[in-house]
Amino acid sequence: MRDITLGQYYPVDSPVHRLDPRTKIILIFLYIIAVFLVPNLLMYIPVAAYLMLAAWLAKLPFSMLLRSLKPMRILLIITFVLNLFFASGTQKLLQIGGFVLWQEGLLTALTFSLRLILLVTGSSILTLTTAPVTLTDGLERLASPLKVIKFPAHEMAMMMTIALRFIPTLIEEADKIMKAQTARGADFETGNLMARARAMIPLLVPLFISAFRRAGDLAMAMEARCYRGGEGRTRLHKLAYTKRDVLAFLSILLLYAIILLPRML
Amino acid sequence: MPIVLEKLSHHYKSGPNTAVALEDIDLTIKDGELLALIGHTGSGKSTLAQHLNGLLEPTSGRVLLNGEDINQKGANRRALRFQIGLVFQYPEHQLFEETVYKDIAFGPKNMGLSEEEIDARVRGAMARVGLEFDEMKDRSPFELSGGQMRRVALAGVLAMQPKVLVLDEPTAGLDPRARDYLLQDVKQLNKEGTTVVLISHAMDEVARLATRVAVLEKGKLVMEGPTDEVFIQQERLAKMGLDVPEAFKLALRLQEEGLNLGHHYRLRNIADGLAKAIKGGGAN
Repeated sequence: MRDITLGQYYPVDSPVHRLDPRTKIILIFLYIIAVFLVPNLLMYIPVAAYLMLAAWLAKLPFSMLLRSLKPMRILLIITFVLNLFFASGTQKLLQIGGFVLWQEGLLTALTFSLRLILLVTGSSILTLTTAPVTLTDGLERLASPLKVIKFPAHEMAMMMTIALRFIPTLIEEADKIMKAQTARGADFETGNLMARARAMIPLLVPLFISAFRRAGDLAMAMEARCYRGGEGRTRLHKLAYTKRDVLAFLSILLLYAIILLPRML
Repeated sequence: MPIVLEKLSHHYKSGPNTAVALEDIDLTIKDGELLALIGHTGSGKSTLAQHLNGLLEPTSGRVLLNGEDINQKGANRRALRFQIGLVFQYPEHQLFEETVYKDIAFGPKNMGLSEEEIDARVRGAMARVGLEFDEMKDRSPFELSGGQMRRVALAGVLAMQPKVLVLDEPTAGLDPRARDYLLQDVKQLNKEGTTVVLISHAMDEVARLATRVAVLEKGKLVMEGPTDEVFIQQERLAKMGLDVPEAFKLALRLQEEGLNLGHHYRLRNIADGLAKAIKGGGAN
């Protein structure tokens, strides 16, 4: 239960950590587009280099990046294998019985796997270097122009912040209730699917009740401090772009130039 | 069936670092005693409690029940949990059934007892904690008051008729009347032969109930002994951020003034001693 890490923030001080969250969100967005724009396998090298540079600047250990790939490993293998064997082309690389391995198959398999790896590690740099609250702050500011069309940017951000804030609390609570019911002889581990589903009731009922209780308490506490939505609310930490952010934007332009220029020429 | 902790250590893993929750604890819980476990928040009291019925496994060291290691391979830990009842902090947060009866019956049902036996145990447990059977059995536990919910939760553990009862802060958040009521129950249970381990930082209730006190600080067992002998070391306890029961404070203060009342630190004893001293003084 305790291994669930959604807000996987890696708390060190680095230039990447100090970037404005809006910059990082836009950068990741542009980076994702760049990954899809890459015309050939060779051009993945600058993209990967860009990623590595960012990770190095962010002082992230390599193992952290690998760990972000771990939940993806099955999807990665399936992607690779399917593309390898179900593509057809002109250039035979290998033939075993009725099985033909085409060069095109190998290339698409590599392309798709690389794309996945670069996408996942890239976006994990965002979550590793940005505290959840800062991230939702950035999202709110980016989405605030949409308020014109009545998009509830502030409310969305506040909901996300609260949800993220309460994940560890709920995990802790679930752990405690599970132990308490185990102490009364509850059995969560054995039995068929039905029995196990039924065994979850003594865990889920108290968990929901406590979540509702907490939600009520929190709402009350927020109102007691005069919270009434985003209108007219000032912030403690004002977001502001700095030179660092300009440099970051320039760096992604450079990446685009490297990827796209050969095609233009 | 005494519980013996031998060189018990427990480390929590949190990311790359480990936190030491318990270190080299040697402690024996004797049959029929009422042992109080005190210590500052985060001193490892609750972690220790969870080792007593195998909810947590020690990082090193052993927990022996009747000389058997409860964590060895093949040990039936589920059966063990029916013998050593653990009441968590705020146990009313674990109620889940539609009726009070069903919730209290949860433990006995898991023990695989017959319907009649379960019924008898639920009735017994409810009577024990002062819940009127006919009035309460069909009510939803969620519409009860906090004190009543706590009693239902306690009854849920008592219905398993454990030989050892471990209570983690059982009076936290209760009003004085509900607290006195609950402590009365605990005292009575202990009198009838149940071994009780009471985790608390309300020193007055510890002084009132416990026969022996063990003090934890930062995961280490730093003091242990009969209640009077522990509380007399007021300064040492104060250094750990622990308070001393009011009666002890008064007795120690009187001692400073030259009035030694002996080692009977109950309010009643002090009152008697004072009365005697005043009478004696009047005679002078």
